[in-house]
Amino acid sequence: MSQIQLKNISKHFEGKQVLKDINLFVKEGEMVSLLGPSGCGKTTTLKILAGLIEPDCGDILINGDSVLNIPVERRGVVIVFQDYLLFPHMTVEENVAFGLKMAKVKKSKRIKRVRDMIDLVQLNGHEKKYPRELSGGQRQRVAIARALAIEPRVLLLDEPFSNLDTRLRETMREFVCQIQKKLGITTILVTHDKEEALMTSDQVAIMLGGEIKQFGSPAEIYERPVSTIVADFFGEKNYIKGEIKDRFFICDVGKFKTDFNGFSKVKAMVRPEEIEISARDGENGILGIIKSKTYAGERVYYTIKTGNMEWKCILSSQKTFNVDEKVFIKIDFNKVVFFKDEE
Amino acid sequence: MEKRNLIFKIIMNILIFFLIAPLIILAIWSFSKIWPWPDLFPKSFGIRGFKYIFNPSNKSLKILMFSVWLSTVVTVITLLISIPAAKALGVYNFKGKRVFKILVLAPIIVPPVVVAMGIHVAFIRMGLANTFVGVVLVHLIPCIPYGVRILTNVFEILGESMEIQARVLGANPFQAFIHITLPLLAPGLLSAGSMVFIVSFSQYFLTFLIGGGKIVTFSMLMFPFIKSGDRMMASVYSSIFILTTLTVLLVMEKMVKSYYKGENYFYL
Repeated sequence: MSQIQLKNISKHFEGKQVLKDINLFVKEGEMVSLLGPSGCGKTTTLKILAGLIEPDCGDILINGDSVLNIPVERRGVVIVFQDYLLFPHMTVEENVAFGLKMAKVKKSKRIKRVRDMIDLVQLNGHEKKYPRELSGGQRQRVAIARALAIEPRVLLLDEPFSNLDTRLRETMREFVCQIQKKLGITTILVTHDKEEALMTSDQVAIMLGGEIKQFGSPAEIYERPVSTIVADFFGEKNYIKGEIKDRFFICDVGKFKTDFNGFSKVKAMVRPEEIEISARDGENGILGIIKSKTYAGERVYYTIKTGNMEWKCILSSQKTFNVDEKVFIKIDFNKVVFFKDEE
Repeated sequence: MEKRNLIFKIIMNILIFFLIAPLIILAIWSFSKIWPWPDLFPKSFGIRGFKYIFNPSNKSLKILMFSVWLSTVVTVITLLISIPAAKALGVYNFKGKRVFKILVLAPIIVPPVVVAMGIHVAFIRMGLANTFVGVVLVHLIPCIPYGVRILTNVFEILGESMEIQARVLGANPFQAFIHITLPLLAPGLLSAGSMVFIVSFSQYFLTFLIGGGKIVTFSMLMFPFIKSGDRMMASVYSSIFILTTLTVLLVMEKMVKSYYKGENYFYL
């Protein structure tokens, strides 16, 4: 069980900056996600942590001690890679035992530990099988058991669920979270799937273009993004520019009450799911017309035109409207996130 | 579909025929006393050739064993040199990699005579001419290109990921090589090894030049008979030659396979 600290980690590859001044603190036993699109430097960060790549500058501390000079095999940081990389010439139990064998753990102890690990990932009865005889989910379990068998200080998961189909992905996600909580092992998960990051982690770090843009709890990241870039990463948003004056937000479509008074020139971010649509005007409704409608099962996506503004809305499909129908939209400007308008 | 299958079958059978036919003729020749042109079958049969070869005073079998030993040594050394070279060419990226890849093949492209003449002078000075070590060294020249080339392709497919995974799990570089890379490389080692063995075993000129007649291999024994036109003897030697290489290859394959099957339980 360990806490990890990344201090000002930077990395260049062939003149291209891949990581810019990464700072990250992971508390003991926590599960932290590095969330970002592909090519944002997530995997590079993991590899640097494991010691597979050397950073240009910066330091990595585990439990307060620098591990930069400790070689990969003695760092106690294990990566479970995206494609599991099970050793094809070994059976399940040989795969799980591999790390212990390398560490020259006594045979009796080794056999016991392997049995415990196979119990943990519920693969009893598959011990003698070769990786090629296993399904995707089973392979992943072996990979996790193999990583945990050596009692690493830190567990790194590199896109662990992206090779599984949707159903299995949910099951495995729950399964891995359970094990992580049970063992209390400090874990860093790399993913490009926002839902996965929000659902599994204690803390989420949003990585874009080799930088950590925001670090916080899932709710914090989703509800109070620090910038429009972070907000946009979680799906398309509506933005409207305006001014804050005397507890009112004044913009093109009207004047709305709000408690916010950080700065005067603002850009308000309205989430598509926070817009209410009704056929009749309530209080403070904005009259608009439905321009398009996309049906997506439990949700329906609309675009609604009010004046010269187009709003993206998401509604549950219980209440439906038709294209060209006149509707009133209502926005609670106390829930809206205001960013400083830079232009 | 039917038609395509038929054409495919015909082509395959023709290919097999062209592969087998010379061997059959070789076998017939090695037993025939007189087989004048244009007879379809030999006039009379005999076993003079085999009698000669199995006669201990001719030392043919002894030389055969020595040849196998020499080529085995060459094969092992070639593979030991080729593995790291092939890994560098197959896995890592560095400047001039493509040039090196072509340069590795140079000994096959340039006639060995050219190189061997120069080497011979150097070997005489170093006292390596007419010695076993000298012949082994000179055999490495045409063998290494095959070894490196075949293993490079294997490494290109294997990549480094399994080795990295092993390192992450606590294996030091040596352990990762022994327990992961080597077993995964085994099929490649087998095909490279077979190729190298055959190249070394059939080497005539280099052995003759550097061995100076003191180091005699099986192919050198064969040569005078082929040159003098004693077809029966040449065929007998050729048959033995083919049988030997085939046996060695089969034994090698068996050994590698049983080793990696038997090794499994070592992991737990």
